[in-house]
Amino acid sequence: MNLARLRSWWKWVVKRKQLEGDMDAELLFHIKSHAEDLVRRGVPEADAIRQARIALGGIESQKDAMRDSVGHRWSDELWLDLRYAARMLGKNPTFTLVIVLTLALSIGANSAIFSLIDGVLLKPLPYPRAEQIARVFYRSTSYPKFPLNPWDFLDFRGRNRSFESFAIYTHADAQLSGMGSDPVKLSTFQISSGYFRVLGVQPARGREFDFSEERPGNGNVVILSDRVWRNQFEAAPDILGRKVLLDSQAYTVVGVMPAGLNHPGNSYNSIAYGDTVDAWTPFTFSGNPNNRGSHYVEGIGRLKSGVTVEQAAADFNGIMVELASQHEDDKGWTIYMVPLFREIVGSVHKMLLVLLGAVGLVLLIACVNAANLLLARAAARQKEIAVRAALGAWRGRLLRQMLTESLLISLLGGALGVVLAIVGVRALVFFLPAGFPRTEAIHVNAFVLSFTALVAVGTGLLFGLVPAVQASQIDPKQGLHEGGRGSSGSIRQTRLRAVLVVGEVGLACLLLVGAGAMLRSFMNLLRLDPGFQPQHVLTAEIALPNANYKTTDNVAGFYQRLLNNLNTLPGVRAVGAGTDLPWTGYDENLGGFTIEGKTPPPHEEFHARYHTASADYFRAIGIPLLRGRFFNDQDSKGEPRVLLINNVMARRYWPGEDAVGKRITFDDKPKDSDWFRVVGVVGDVKDTPGSKEAEPAFWWPVLQEPFPFANMTIVLRGDSDPALLTDALRSKVRELDPSLAVAHVRLLDRVADEQFSTSRFALFLIGLFAALALLLAAIGIYGVISYSVSQRMPEFGMRVALGASSWNLLKMVMKQGVLLTGIGVAIGLGCALLLGGVLDNLLFGLSARDPLTLIVVGAIAVVTATLASLPSALRATAADPMTSLRAE
Amino acid sequence: MGKQVDLLQGTLDMLILKAVSLGPLHGYGVLLRIQQISGEQLEIQQGSLYPALYRLEHQGLIKSEWGESENRRKAKFYRLTAAGRRQLQSETDKWNRLAAVIVGILNTKPEGI
Repeated sequence: MNLARLRSWWKWVVKRKQLEGDMDAELLFHIKSHAEDLVRRGVPEADAIRQARIALGGIESQKDAMRDSVGHRWSDELWLDLRYAARMLGKNPTFTLVIVLTLALSIGANSAIFSLIDGVLLKPLPYPRAEQIARVFYRSTSYPKFPLNPWDFLDFRGRNRSFESFAIYTHADAQLSGMGSDPVKLSTFQISSGYFRVLGVQPARGREFDFSEERPGNGNVVILSDRVWRNQFEAAPDILGRKVLLDSQAYTVVGVMPAGLNHPGNSYNSIAYGDTVDAWTPFTFSGNPNNRGSHYVEGIGRLKSGVTVEQAAADFNGIMVELASQHEDDKGWTIYMVPLFREIVGSVHKMLLVLLGAVGLVLLIACVNAANLLLARAAARQKEIAVRAALGAWRGRLLRQMLTESLLISLLGGALGVVLAIVGVRALVFFLPAGFPRTEAIHVNAFVLSFTALVAVGTGLLFGLVPAVQASQIDPKQGLHEGGRGSSGSIRQTRLRAVLVVGEVGLACLLLVGAGAMLRSFMNLLRLDPGFQPQHVLTAEIALPNANYKTTDNVAGFYQRLLNNLNTLPGVRAVGAGTDLPWTGYDENLGGFTIEGKTPPPHEEFHARYHTASADYFRAIGIPLLRGRFFNDQDSKGEPRVLLINNVMARRYWPGEDAVGKRITFDDKPKDSDWFRVVGVVGDVKDTPGSKEAEPAFWWPVLQEPFPFANMTIVLRGDSDPALLTDALRSKVRELDPSLAVAHVRLLDRVADEQFSTSRFALFLIGLFAALALLLAAIGIYGVISYSVSQRMPEFGMRVALGASSWNLLKMVMKQGVLLTGIGVAIGLGCALLLGGVLDNLLFGLSARDPLTLIVVGAIAVVTATLASLPSALRATAADPMTSLRAE
Repeated sequence: MGKQVDLLQGTLDMLILKAVSLGPLHGYGVLLRIQQISGEQLEIQQGSLYPALYRLEHQGLIKSEWGESENRRKAKFYRLTAAGRRQLQSETDKWNRLAAVIVGILNTKPEGI
């Protein structure tokens, strides 16, 4: 189409009404002029108009031809097709409703899941050039991901050739006080200079920390988050340079970060600190620079452009070798680097892809189902189409009209699907498991909407094409002859529909197997002994400010007094304090030690996670004692030093022996008083309910802890509802120290329950999709059997006339349904066996090829097929021999 | 039958262009003009006239405007555009060449080969 034609076509679109009027006027003028000439030639006036009209031909067909000339016949016909399609759909509302709803549900579900995937996996992280950011870990034979040592970090930073900026951070909460109101606990990070350069963000006001502030004594400066600046300081414009009290020490505000800054997080806590970081203080390097044994800082860096993570890791491993030659503690470590994106979303990546696969299967089934329903309708409309073909409808025109109909259906389904997607995404985000990464990035957006549109139109074409081609090939003669029963076309169609149903059943079985396996996996998880008793337990966190609680005596003394006071409360069965709550993640606290009379393998150390606990901690949280004894109040300073260990540690380091009575030490040249004696072995608690096994761990008694543990979790086991103890807990803390904040008051069963939320979420969705698939397959089976029964009614009548009983007919029809299902089930279960490996990482305590699941799924499918064929089978039994004989 | 229609259609378009090239005409005028200059030998099918006019206008070869007819009625007049003039020229050349060739062929006698 050249420009002139395009302009003319467009003129007809916008000025249609006027031009149609022009057309009438022009033709009228022609007729009148012609008639006048005729009158002049002697034709009577009455006859002249009529003759002129005849000479011109039919006005309407003339106008059609004129519209065709300007390229508007096509769009006119489309409009006609649409109106026809709408009328046909309205004539059969049940059919329309079923088909539009199945499409809407599957398109809606697809868009919702795709939104999830777009937000979590496809959108870049909210940092400039985020692909250049990498997390840096240590790695050894026993620890795949280990934090860095601060002094090693300084060496890496000095010798680094791969990073634009390389930094460390560590979580260190602080108490903000002196604001006139109650003290507030701030989520604070200590960061090295250059941390924000790694993230690629700049303070909205003020500046980042510089190197000099990493030196001891210079570190009393703080950068505030936008939220704290607004909420605690009323967005004071003169905030820079102001002194604030953190942990009772004066800090100078040097910067305020922009709003909405996200903390990068990690795979244990993907949104761990999310946007909840309140303030940043400098990490200060103090102590002995040759102490390379303690690992507690997180490494993060921004790669120079053009440098890959692998190259940077190779560079750092070279430096690691140099360090190991200088420091005994650095032997046995290598560097592990991972792009930040993978670190954050790695844990849910697979689950999301499985969900996408499942929901894609649902869409496929919905398409097959829609094709099936359209085929059935095409068969029912064979006569109508044959009549139209006989009356001269062009084959392409018929094809186009059928396609218009299926496109209309799919667009209706798509539009409704978009609505469902918007609602569905809200619901999904609401029900997402706690700790799910990047939930703030999940929205239905233009990208997702265009994906939906593509799916809708693609579906329409896909499922419209087969029946449309079939219908357009109907031979008018055959079609007109008694509905075409027994013709080769209809046999082919029946066969095609049977194949579609078999496919549908197979796909549904595949989904059912997945859902069944996840259900059993979930039940395995629930049935598991958690290792502690989460019912009736209240927990809360307290952080003692370093300024007022410098020594172990201060810290341990405070907790001892608090626990004694809490013990007197009515309704308290047991109360304790500990450093780590079960199932709340691992904060990379790992200690090396020496075992009396044992030497570790070369370049390895004896390691276990360290914690401290008060005497009644284990009773309060419900961890059982396996051997020996718990702590008691006599395990205090000056008394012989003692430890509790978990069962995994006992078995790993004292296999075949009784660990109780054995001794370990944390000193290189221990005096006799430096040895800790194991007095008891307690039960294991895994990191998460799905973890393979627990990690070795030990506990110091609070009163003998080797360095102060200022942050502890209070655990209160109550008689009944422990939430009632919250106020009492707060007032007891205030009695001892009014400057302390009680944070994160939670019920332990709620904490435990969060661990099941990911499994529950995946199970719920897969289960939903499987149920949808089963329903669709049932509709498909019903459709095919019902059509076949109506085709065979005359035959059934003949059979009744020849002596067949109702039971015979029922059995015949049911057999057909069950046979189709049987083939589908066999194919579906076969595919499940082939593809089962995909799910293995997501399942707990069974394989996706679990035979029980396969058998149950097969049974469900056959029962469903039976139910879906029953109505048609019952209809068959009503076959009347007289009707058949009359029809033949 | 299809081929004849095509040929006729192509010819009709050319004749319409020629007719309006002599001066603006309304649809009925085009009909009369062609009949008149063909010496009443050519009768145009009225049914195909208006679709052809619309097609030519759609292609940008002629353009139309409303004016007053000789019998004082409102009528739509067509005139040739620059593109139409070029088209008419090339169609005329093509037609003449084709006619000369065909005439040559039809006049061939056995001794001419």
